[in-house]
Amino acid sequence: MTPEQITLVQSSFARLGPELPALATRFYQELFGRDPALRALFTTDLAVQKVRFAEKLAEIVRAMPRLGELLGHTHALGARHVGYGVRAVDYRTVGDALLAALAAVLGDSFDAPTREAWDIAYNLMAETMLEGAASARPLGSR
Amino acid sequence: MLAAVAITLPRWPLIGRRAELEIFEKALCSDERAGLLIHGPAGVGKTRLADECREWAAASGHPTEHVTGSRTTALLPLGAVVALLAAGLGRPDPDGQVNMVALFEETRRALDERHHGRRLVTVADDASLLDAASLALLGYLAAQGTIFLIATVRSGEPVPDLLTGLWRDGRVERVDLEDLSRTQLDTLLHLALGGPIEAGAGREFWEVTTGNPLYVHELVLGALGSGALVERSGVWHLEDRLPATSRLLDLVEQRIGDLSAEARSVVELLALCQPLELGHLETAAPVGVLESLERAGLVTIAVADGEVRLAHPLHGEVIRAAMPRLRARAILLAEAERLETSYPADGPAALRIAVWRLDAGGRPDPDVLVRGAYLARDAHDFRVVRRLIEAVPGEQLDAAGALLLGEALYELGVFDEAERVLALGQEQPSSEHVALRLAVTRSKNAHWGLCQPETALAINAGARAVITAPPLAEQLVADEAAVLMFSGHPDRALAVLERIVGHDQRTRVVRAIVGAVALAVTGRTADAVTTAEAGFADHTALGDELAIAHPATHVINQVFALTEAGRLAEAEQLARAGAEIVASQRVPIAQIWFAANLGRVATLQGRVATARRYYAEAAGLALLNRFGGPRRMALSGLALAHAMLGQTDAAAQALAERATVPAFGFLGPEQQLADAWTAVVSRRPREAAQHLRSAAAQAASTGHRVTESWLLHDLMRTCGEDTSARLRELAGVCDSPLVAARARHAVAARARDARGLADAAGDFEAQGAMLLAAEAASGAAEAFSRAGDRRAATAARRRASALGADCEGAVTPGLVPEAAVPLTGREREIAMLAAEGMASKDIAERLYLSVRTVDNHLQHAYAKLGVSSRAGLARALGSGT
Repeated sequence: MTPEQITLVQSSFARLGPELPALATRFYQELFGRDPALRALFTTDLAVQKVRFAEKLAEIVRAMPRLGELLGHTHALGARHVGYGVRAVDYRTVGDALLAALAAVLGDSFDAPTREAWDIAYNLMAETMLEGAASARPLGSR
Repeated sequence: MLAAVAITLPRWPLIGRRAELEIFEKALCSDERAGLLIHGPAGVGKTRLADECREWAAASGHPTEHVTGSRTTALLPLGAVVALLAAGLGRPDPDGQVNMVALFEETRRALDERHHGRRLVTVADDASLLDAASLALLGYLAAQGTIFLIATVRSGEPVPDLLTGLWRDGRVERVDLEDLSRTQLDTLLHLALGGPIEAGAGREFWEVTTGNPLYVHELVLGALGSGALVERSGVWHLEDRLPATSRLLDLVEQRIGDLSAEARSVVELLALCQPLELGHLETAAPVGVLESLERAGLVTIAVADGEVRLAHPLHGEVIRAAMPRLRARAILLAEAERLETSYPADGPAALRIAVWRLDAGGRPDPDVLVRGAYLARDAHDFRVVRRLIEAVPGEQLDAAGALLLGEALYELGVFDEAERVLALGQEQPSSEHVALRLAVTRSKNAHWGLCQPETALAINAGARAVITAPPLAEQLVADEAAVLMFSGHPDRALAVLERIVGHDQRTRVVRAIVGAVALAVTGRTADAVTTAEAGFADHTALGDELAIAHPATHVINQVFALTEAGRLAEAEQLARAGAEIVASQRVPIAQIWFAANLGRVATLQGRVATARRYYAEAAGLALLNRFGGPRRMALSGLALAHAMLGQTDAAAQALAERATVPAFGFLGPEQQLADAWTAVVSRRPREAAQHLRSAAAQAASTGHRVTESWLLHDLMRTCGEDTSARLRELAGVCDSPLVAARARHAVAARARDARGLADAAGDFEAQGAMLLAAEAASGAAEAFSRAGDRRAATAARRRASALGADCEGAVTPGLVPEAAVPLTGREREIAMLAAEGMASKDIAERLYLSVRTVDNHLQHAYAKLGVSSRAGLARALGSGT
């Protein structure tokens, strides 16, 4: 990522402000619309889940300029998702859903450079979550 | 000086490969899966993914192993998989042979025991560079569930047939890796550098590498080392342009070129002899050097066993290519000596030592070479056999070695040299077994290679004078029969076979090779099929021994026997299956025979264009592999197919090419079909008849009964000569329905018996001989028409044209070109409506005619088209009137 892209991600996220819950709602709509089977992986109440999602995303965006701190968040998050039964291919779907939700909520301000910055930022999150997942996967489980 | 690396990485990040890793994890946990094939371009991350898989497997409690294919290890069979040979190299039998099946089985048992039945996860890097024996062993162990194979194959290299086969059977998962996307590259750089990169620098990395992970790796580490890539206030910048090279190899060369002398000597040692123990390397170079090499991403040190290897096969390639020959030689010989002093001479290390000595152009232990040659021979890798035995000093080459080399030379088509080596071998003292095999191989070479059956018989007689006790003597008798059979004397061959009374398995096998063909060609096709089947079973049980033809020979014989029996579809199916197998095993002689037999089957089926293609393939392969006899036969078939397609010039050209090849007696009379049909298509019918008559006479005097019936039948087909009397006799002494149908055809043709001709057409059609069926139906049409039965005549003509449509453009005298269906305009109009299902009354109303007139027209149309119902009408009009 370039420093400019990190700034873009953070500033566009800040613009969401009170719309953050709307982003969460829209995200889950987009996600389950793309792959209804994923709904089964969420056992907690969706309302609670949305709040958690918004909090985690905010933490990660905040940590974006400092890789060590970012990894602290994403590794742990990825490790936790192994337990939920999330597979590597699901990360692609999640990314698509996130970008679609951002586009819907941010509207015109979600321009091409912003989209590109988020695309790269999400890939960084996803790859490092998967890194965390790999070290936490139950080994040799049959 | 080894460039100092600015940052220390715990590990180069793995980006964009998690889904593939999950595929592996799932496969490893399933007993259905025997392996994973990782395919993709150089530097895409195949080795890295394989390493990740291996690590995951190790962490979950699996034992793991690593083998690497290279041009060096490919020199010696099993050279690449030394690490797997838990049970050693196998014990050779008294003749010095190693039984491959037993060796594989011992290895399997030893590995299962060593790892308590847990699958050994084995990475085979650059699997397409493995020798055939190594691949066979890996395939066997994977199929048996002893190992889980992770094989990497670089794009553009052939995927070993073994892997393709396992993949097709669903036993192996396959992942195709691609270069990283721009986004993935950004993530990789971010993680590798530990922070953001300035936009221009990120773009330059993308433009130069297009996302190739190894390229990125080399470039980043290189740029860090040279100080071109620097961090300022938390952001990475490029102070300098990236190296202006567009080739990954150049880049690797550049990086290796920058190494210190000490570091360089370590990577050179690894490039030639890896894997090496950490302890050994530590004596060769200071610890700091190894550490810096590991940091620079050039070597990897396995934590579990302390084995050191180069991080990537490409590094090895570059280093080996750049190394002066003399230096490589010195390193290899020093390592060979070191291993020799520390390991037992008959253990797996012996193979590595031999590989190194061979690669150094030195003289490895002849015993190991010969043993390796046996293994290569078992894998039908005759090029390797030749290379290994030729490395044995001449004075140390004993009779058994000469036999190996002679056979390899024969298989490789170097007949003069094979004759020289085998004759020398016969002068050496040897066991009777080896003496027998030398004689048989030498006579085979004289017969098939040099096309000198008389010499072959003389060699055989010489050996029979010395080896007189059964069962070996009987094999020589079988060999005598073989020479007779395959030089055009099936009757004499069968008589010689009668002299064999013994029944040991080996004798049965040799006997079957000759017996099946002789029985088929003399008209005992059912016995021939059974003999071929039993021969194959015996041969397979016997194991693949020297001086017996490839086991596929029995399958070829079975194809031939099925063809002679008129079971054309079965013959075709079997031949196709066999052709596929021997093509993958690269057994040229068997490939030629399968192609030629497929041409033969297609000729009889009337699929003449297909026949032309197969014969051309056989002729090409025979030329390439220098088999004169088979080439002559294939060219005969090619001329025949051209002639039946009406291609006069091409037929003549094939005959002219054939004239440059020495005469070959096997199926000699059949070869003359080519001359006859070329004369037919050149409108020289008298010459054609002469060819067919003399060939038939030759066939009669040598016992080629099925061939004789083919020749006499063709004499009738092309020249109208009445050959029915002899054809009936032949049908009486042959069990082949094809011979019977030919007789029936000739008898009916002579009597102008329309029904009989139609029946003959039915017989031919049932056997899949469509061209003969079409000709018989055509004859029936003429006979019906002569007898005034217009409807039957038209029906027969329609049938002839339908059958002829399967004949791919054959133009033979017996095929009457189809006359246009002679319906008048009104008849056609009414017939079309009736064919659509309209009742006569409705047709009459629509066309303002009386119902009676409509019916009259319809009756005429029925008669002209040779049909008797509206359904028949629809069929007749539907098929292109």
